[in-house]
Amino acid sequence: MTAQEVRLCGLLLQEHFGEVVAKVGTHLLKSGAQNLRTIIHETGISLDLVKKSLCVLVQHGTCVFSSGRKAPGSPTEYRTSCDRILRILRYPRYIYTAKTLYGDTGELIIEELLQRGDMTMSSTVKTVADRLTQNMEEGRSMDYSEVSSAFSKLVETHFLQRCPPMAGAGTKDSGTPATPATPAIPESFPDCYRVPHVTLIGRGKRRLSNEDGEDQRNAKKTKMDSETHGDEGIYWQVNFERFHLHFRDQAIISAVANKLDQTSSEIVRTMLRMSEVTTSPTATCTKPLSANEIFRSLPSSYNIPRPILDQYLTLLVDDPMEFVGKAGESGGGMYVVNLHKALANLARATLESVVQERFGSRSARIFRLLLRKRHLEQKQVEDFAMIPAKEAKDMLYTLLSQNLVQLQEIPKTPDYAPSRTFYLYTVNQLPTARMLLQNCYKTVANLIERRLFESKESKRLLEKSQRIEAILASLQASGAEPEQLTEVEEMITAPEKQQLEALRLHINKLDSAENQVDETIFLLESYVNSTATS
Amino acid sequence: KYCSKIKKKSLSVSLCLIKELCQQFPHGITDQVIQNDMPHLEPQQRAMAINKLLSLGQLDLLRNSSGLLYRMKDMQSTSKMKGSDNQEKLVYQIIEDAGNKGIWSRDIRFKSNLPLTEINKILKNLESKKLIKAVKSVAASKKKVYMLYNLQPDRSVTGGAWYSDQDFESEFVEVLNQQCFKFLQSKAEAARDSKQSPMVQRNSSFATSHEVWKYICELGISKVDLSMDDIETILNTLIYDGKVEMTVIAAKEGTVGSVDGQMKLYRGVNPVIQPTGVVRTPCGLCPVFEDCHEGGEISPSNCIYMTEWLDF
Repeated sequence: MTAQEVRLCGLLLQEHFGEVVAKVGTHLLKSGAQNLRTIIHETGISLDLVKKSLCVLVQHGTCVFSSGRKAPGSPTEYRTSCDRILRILRYPRYIYTAKTLYGDTGELIIEELLQRGDMTMSSTVKTVADRLTQNMEEGRSMDYSEVSSAFSKLVETHFLQRCPPMAGAGTKDSGTPATPATPAIPESFPDCYRVPHVTLIGRGKRRLSNEDGEDQRNAKKTKMDSETHGDEGIYWQVNFERFHLHFRDQAIISAVANKLDQTSSEIVRTMLRMSEVTTSPTATCTKPLSANEIFRSLPSSYNIPRPILDQYLTLLVDDPMEFVGKAGESGGGMYVVNLHKALANLARATLESVVQERFGSRSARIFRLLLRKRHLEQKQVEDFAMIPAKEAKDMLYTLLSQNLVQLQEIPKTPDYAPSRTFYLYTVNQLPTARMLLQNCYKTVANLIERRLFESKESKRLLEKSQRIEAILASLQASGAEPEQLTEVEEMITAPEKQQLEALRLHINKLDSAENQVDETIFLLESYVNSTATS
Repeated sequence: KYCSKIKKKSLSVSLCLIKELCQQFPHGITDQVIQNDMPHLEPQQRAMAINKLLSLGQLDLLRNSSGLLYRMKDMQSTSKMKGSDNQEKLVYQIIEDAGNKGIWSRDIRFKSNLPLTEINKILKNLESKKLIKAVKSVAASKKKVYMLYNLQPDRSVTGGAWYSDQDFESEFVEVLNQQCFKFLQSKAEAARDSKQSPMVQRNSSFATSHEVWKYICELGISKVDLSMDDIETILNTLIYDGKVEMTVIAAKEGTVGSVDGQMKLYRGVNPVIQPTGVVRTPCGLCPVFEDCHEGGEISPSNCIYMTEWLDF
């Protein structure tokens, strides 16, 4: 993990879990696996707090424990990793996706699971039903079965998965030596996606309005339920990988729509949908699909005749971006979606867009030229790009100083005499993508810090407005006259109102900027991961 | 004595005869031809005659695949060189050989093995006689190449259509760039609006390099004649701009615009993604990104770019 990643993780932990957890978390990130005593010693936090922080981290799956490396029976060691914590940045996107796919019910299920880390199915269903009932009109309530069916649908499409059963230290195979346990992959368990038989009959309970203030999402308070529903010990968590596959598919479909047209993107969407559960996450391309199958699976609203479909498929195959490839001739033509190639193309487009926005379209021209032609001399760059020599030199040196372009020396003589060496400019896509990814992490950390700073600056004002809102609410509840209400409202002066409004806008802007940068982070991360496995 | 007189007379006769032969065959004659024409001439005398003519500068000695050729020298050029000496002739010869690419003074020195001062004197002399001229090379602006006075300098020296007087014409290139792009874009849009089957749509959105060349010529925005290669370099810059893509198809020899049995097709394309998320924040475009740290002079808390952006 790089310094930027650690900084970002620290900020995220602080926002979501508080100072203490952030301290423990960053300490573990920086120092690798450690046992409890060392953590207490090095962070200087009391045993009680450290224990609680570790509980929180483990609950959310960010920390794993395993028996010590030195000898079996030595104290357990705790380890965190950056990527799980960085997912926190993407929570809003997960929740929004669930909303688009499964409606409000799905949205709330995912939200609850993300907040609690992992929960049993029964407790999830109950909590979500209660929340939904809260927002419905008087007299209506949400049936548990509806929520259960939404839950089952989420499991079927693999968006939710069972948590792997945690083996207690020492109850594992005592025969095998204590190897540093790799965290158990949830999918290695056969029951990963099996919905347990749960007896849940009832409807959501509406909370009384004066309990509304007590935030029922307070994760620390677990309601002790006296009923059992037959699924004790089976905890569910959100399957992030599945969401990532979904995002990747969305990115590919929108790229096809931009480059070609709507119909082609629908065809690609159909192909991806058909191979959702048959393709492994790290596959280079989807399983081959025959044109007949694709024709049958197209949504009925797209009434295109078979020969036209064939033409669209041929066009997709011929496109230089190579989103779709042809894998054979049986069944009217077998087609695959080239996932890794599509990711590489998207990453390349991202890099080009960054260079274009930052340095101008002529520098972008040089950048694209070098990406295509690999190695070029100074003179050749000028000739191909048709830019005057002086300006081309300037732009190349700027790009070189920003490390977006590298210089390769090829000597003609064994002594690297400058007058007798070729100097070639080149762009390496993968290292540049990694560098840009680190910059994105730094950008998000900057945005979060600025947001915290802005709120801190106006802390006094925010507190005042909160007090006034509380007074207003209590007055309204106890039935006060309008004059009293207006009198209270006027306690906030007009410029203060403006300031508050401006502050609200700023914070919203920073929030949405974080989400936008997260999209770039997702693309680059997927690309870097895809090259690591291939 | 009588013998030598006869020899001299026969020599001058043979000289005239050979000169006539040369004039008959302006491309040059071989030894064989002279022998056939004047069978009575002994090889020794023939050699003497040819040598005489060569030293007088009236014959040119050339070599081709089958042997030596003798050619009548152009009377005009021989009159030109009348006043010059051998060294100048040598230098002139070297420059002539360089053709329309010209030759650098240092290279003349290597080839003729003459000292630098001599070379400079000779070059000045020849220039004043308007036999050679100096042309500035576009590659290195300080370098001068010499070539014969009446020759057109080659494209590599002057830079071709993109350079006028050693200056790269960037506005001209920009204008051509935009015009070509507009042409391809309008063609692609027309194809899209035609609502025909997708294959036909795509094929009709393509334009061959020949078509683009014709369009640009008809526009008449260029004062210089542009060749198809020039247009292709412009279209390549559009590819590097990401606005155009190219395919090569096999074409029958003789179809208009085909080169070596291939044709290059170009068409306008749309970008694959919108400008990416990180460039919509000030940090993505910040010139001092590397120097920014929390608690430093430049930090997110006091970033002026962020302040401006937030108030936008």
